[in-house]
Amino acid sequence: MESKKRVAVGEGLLTGPLEQFEEVRLVGTRCHDCGEVMFGTYHSCANCASEEVEQIPLSREGTLWSYTIINHCPPEPYKGPKNPFIPFGEGLVEVPEGVRVVSILDCPLEDIKIGMKLELEPYVLYENEAGEEVVAWKFKAK
Amino acid sequence: MREVAIIGAGIHPFGRFDETYIEIGQYAARAALNDAGISWRDVQAAVVSEQYLPSTTGPRILKPFGATGIPIMDMESACASGGSTLRQAMLAIQSGDIDVAMVLGVEKMPRGFMNPLMIYSEWQAYMGMSTNPSYWAMRARRHMHEYGTTEEQIAKVAYKNHKNSVHNPNAMYRKAFTMEEIMGSKMVCDPIHLMEICAPNEGAACLIICAKEVAHKYSSNTPITIAACVHTLAAYSADFRCPIDSLSAKANNPGPTEVTSKKAYEKAGIGPEDVDCFEVQDTDAFCELEIYEQLGLCPFGEAGRLIDEGVTEITGSKPVNMSGGLISKGEPVGASHLGQLYELVQQLRGNCGPRQVEGAKVALGQVLGASGNCAVTILKK
Repeated sequence: MESKKRVAVGEGLLTGPLEQFEEVRLVGTRCHDCGEVMFGTYHSCANCASEEVEQIPLSREGTLWSYTIINHCPPEPYKGPKNPFIPFGEGLVEVPEGVRVVSILDCPLEDIKIGMKLELEPYVLYENEAGEEVVAWKFKAK
Repeated sequence: MREVAIIGAGIHPFGRFDETYIEIGQYAARAALNDAGISWRDVQAAVVSEQYLPSTTGPRILKPFGATGIPIMDMESACASGGSTLRQAMLAIQSGDIDVAMVLGVEKMPRGFMNPLMIYSEWQAYMGMSTNPSYWAMRARRHMHEYGTTEEQIAKVAYKNHKNSVHNPNAMYRKAFTMEEIMGSKMVCDPIHLMEICAPNEGAACLIICAKEVAHKYSSNTPITIAACVHTLAAYSADFRCPIDSLSAKANNPGPTEVTSKKAYEKAGIGPEDVDCFEVQDTDAFCELEIYEQLGLCPFGEAGRLIDEGVTEITGSKPVNMSGGLISKGEPVGASHLGQLYELVQQLRGNCGPRQVEGAKVALGQVLGASGNCAVTILKK
């Protein structure tokens, strides 16, 4: 059987073949003028307004800068498990390029600690109405 | 530039009501006109703030008072809406265009979760990273990590504000809770509990402002000078409020309340040591601690000590949120800052009974919200 077509959960966030999760990276935008790196695709620098920017893949490894636990089901249009809802960690993961990206944390809640080493983990969040698998990301303990 | 003063203040209590937003807004507007002792005919411009109401909300509320032909403008700057509207009205007076303006904030927010797609990207909502308190919680957790701030210190802010609310007839919740009740309430987003969070709701607040040099012609009230009213947006990556999807690990810009309050202190020609009482944005209890630091009430990292020492109690040297704060009043976004200023006007007039700060002469209101919208207003007796 032919595998389902995959699409990213949002434009300009993920790069690499979505069929091979180990090759997928988050997208960053680097500013040539001020050196800032932003998460996602920008056409000018959110810091200094320079238009001399380029997209770069972000490292798959990072460390946890801060976190919380989501104990209650987020509002619509949340696509994760709802019946039953499974509490999860949400954190800001600092990657070596100098940006902290908001992410779901895939590890036991009691293991979550600031400074822990993490690794990018793309996954299929849900199947959309067109029958495509929608790919999002988590970070898991390394 | 001409000085601008408050000559009248009115409020509709904050809470949940059957009345329409038009009735709620008119109630506060009438109360402010009556307080000033002026007629609607004396008002030469009105600026109205709201975030969750229809287009032309201002005219719908105020035109029935009489179609006097004055401009009635609607404005919005998230939680700082009251600051941006007040500033616009002040500019009209300072320029000499008009002498008397009404500034009205009104809100009737939908119940339950605020629609996440109003502020988050679709992908954040799909993935479940669209719970507002989760962003406040991550900031709190980092502060705890860096400075040793404790869950108990965060809860103490909620304890203080709930305790103060008992004496405020305009607050939504007017009940004191024990530390055990607060820390035992539902954990919304670790480390933030349910009783440490403010609720979106309904209400209105209104000020009548006037060129100070002619204030006596309109009102017998002692004018309260608006020594500063500053509205700014947070610098790049300087704020952690939602909606964010990332944060720079390199930039080290000062936070929005620090920047805005510095400008306001400068305009007013004073420092934090000269302010007798404060009303600030306690969207969650941790947020108030962070604001102590950004307003200069203590060095960075020492907010926990400040609450431990009781400095921000009504009887302390730097009273904060005598009204009970947003945690007790709720946050009708468009009305929130003007509600703070209503409270501060009453404090400066000495009308606050058991929650009165003795001898208050200088007062500061601060709000902070989505997109790093921040406003700080300083009032002087």
